[in-house]
Amino acid sequence: MVDGVSRLACVLVEGFAAAALERCEPALRERPLAAVLGAPPATRVVEANARGRAEGIRPGLSDAEAVVRCPTLVRRPVSAEAEAAAHHALLDACLAVSPRIEDVAPGCVHVDLAGLTRLFGDDETLARRLRRQARVVGLEARVGIAATRAAAGVAARVGPGLHVIAPGGERAALAAVPLAALEWPEGVSATFRRWGLATLGDLAALPRDGVGARLGKSGLAAHDLACGIDRGPFRPWSQPPSWEEAQGLDWEIVTLPALMPVLERILERLCARLAAAHMAVDALDLRLALASGGHQARTMALAAPLTEAAPLVALLALELERQPPEAAITGVSVSARVLPRRAALAQLWHPPPPAPRDLAAVLARLALLVGGANVGAPIVLDSHRPDAYSLAPFDPTEPNGLADSTDEPATGTAATEQDERIAGPLVLRRLRPPRPVTVETHEGRPAWLHGLSNDRAEVVTCAGPWRASGQWWDIDPWARDEWDIALADGTLWRLAHDRITKSWHLDALYD
Amino acid sequence: MLLDRLLRQGAITEVIGSLSSGRTSLLTHCLREATRRGGAVALIDADHVFDPVSAAAAGVDLRRLLWVRCEGRRQDALKAADLLARCPGFAVVALDVGDSPPRLSVAAAFRLRLAARRSGVALVVVGSRRIVGGAAALSVRTRRERLAWAGRGNTPRRLAGMCTGLQLVRKQGAPSSGVLERVWWTV
Repeated sequence: MVDGVSRLACVLVEGFAAAALERCEPALRERPLAAVLGAPPATRVVEANARGRAEGIRPGLSDAEAVVRCPTLVRRPVSAEAEAAAHHALLDACLAVSPRIEDVAPGCVHVDLAGLTRLFGDDETLARRLRRQARVVGLEARVGIAATRAAAGVAARVGPGLHVIAPGGERAALAAVPLAALEWPEGVSATFRRWGLATLGDLAALPRDGVGARLGKSGLAAHDLACGIDRGPFRPWSQPPSWEEAQGLDWEIVTLPALMPVLERILERLCARLAAAHMAVDALDLRLALASGGHQARTMALAAPLTEAAPLVALLALELERQPPEAAITGVSVSARVLPRRAALAQLWHPPPPAPRDLAAVLARLALLVGGANVGAPIVLDSHRPDAYSLAPFDPTEPNGLADSTDEPATGTAATEQDERIAGPLVLRRLRPPRPVTVETHEGRPAWLHGLSNDRAEVVTCAGPWRASGQWWDIDPWARDEWDIALADGTLWRLAHDRITKSWHLDALYD
Repeated sequence: MLLDRLLRQGAITEVIGSLSSGRTSLLTHCLREATRRGGAVALIDADHVFDPVSAAAAGVDLRRLLWVRCEGRRQDALKAADLLARCPGFAVVALDVGDSPPRLSVAAAFRLRLAARRSGVALVVVGSRRIVGGAAALSVRTRRERLAWAGRGNTPRRLAGMCTGLQLVRKQGAPSSGVLERVWWTV
């Protein structure tokens, strides 16, 4: 608000159907373009881009007429997916400026500018900011700012691309606007011509009740527009739960290299929207429409949230190489599961971890090389069962208390000489699976081992047994006696005797 | 001491030794030192022998450890080492090639060294024999000196520790000293 007067903006994309197609294929901006609908010979123009309009292409023209007017005209079928994605992009762009927006119609958004003057500046600055945000997501928008939505909408539709009506000047600014510059419901514009009305000022001068009596609801709405009055409440729009970009293909794609540019454009649009909303991609859902009529869907979880399109394209390429599509592709849609972007604070005394996009790429390549189940960070489970661990996704940016700890690990006791130093605990090398062996015992202690590389190995020293058991209440109980044995060949093993199966096996090697 | 000079940023350190000589404990010591300083480390485990439980008990921060299990595929282990050596941000990349180390050509070894130098990672290769050759800036051999058992009488109750001798086999730019340092690993 400025001095107690509300300020509202209308962000409008002209020729929205064509603008949505231009957003998918930016090269079309340089050529006259018409979005068409219908099968030949009944194909009709729905919208044209700026160059097309300059060549006289208007909505409703037949395809043949349009080509006669502009032989170099590019025609593309209207794409509902592209329009939906473009409209979501426009909403995201407006949300980047103000948290309170209203979804009016495809290509038209109202923005509440209350409280933004202190943040961003005056109305001109806000209008430029809105237009800039729309450009970031690939749309060329017109912006009008006024005290009411009706006046802001008219300001956006007529006059310069950025049109600010000063507070209190709505009536005067709208009075001069020609009625022919705006779109009216069928029959209403003919009635206005019959009545001799030329401008919004002429319409506003008529009594409201009389206009309503003769033209009904559409007449009342037209009169309110001419006066710059908002009758309905502001309906704030809230963020959709999913982020999706899609593109239908005019031809089937059979090879992965041909699919990559399409994926690249889709991900660039998606990342631009996410950047405008300060979000990062946590996982991608890829859905391929196949020529056979079916769909192929797959989900790719990321090791770390990403915001750039290039590493996402590379990761999708690796995923598609691993599992190629089953048939030719006729459409692609990518939706993202998002997380709010958070600033990663570098710690002063700790080295920086791998950059998220480098890490995501190398983890994807490792998963392709050795299998996704063989890459991760180990987690020790809360269990007394030997070798109880699981693998979790690797995230070195997780806050860590252990790295800041100065506690030394328990080193136990051992007689050392003067020039010797206790370096740390002795660790194990696990045998997976444990190696079954046959053991000859003497006075209840292991004496000879059969089943290693040499036929019969003498147990030089053994310590134990150490008894352990668990899950006796469950369907999978375990109970074992553990021995530490030194063999004559110098190796040092952990030997276990399973008290349930009465079998011996080598668990691990001390090294 | 040699123990404190094993991790060399941007270079390859090779640790060779027979089974139960302490080479794995030495590797775990390096991982512990790197993770305690807050660095991310990677371990390429050719034979799937890494024990997270004893590593955690040894002080390794497992959340900062990327474990790559190669299930016995040694060539995949070398490729994984190459991938990780090229990724900047890891403090240590350790390659445990096990008791049947793969053949590594001289060209491949020097490519690995160049990758480590460019990314600034400390690459540690652990195995039963040398495979990196002249590309290693430091080669250390581990040898078990003696064991310590705890308990009264002739039948010990538990293993108390193991003494490992560290011998400098090769140091880039300096003759091998052959000096033996001894470290104890406790249980």
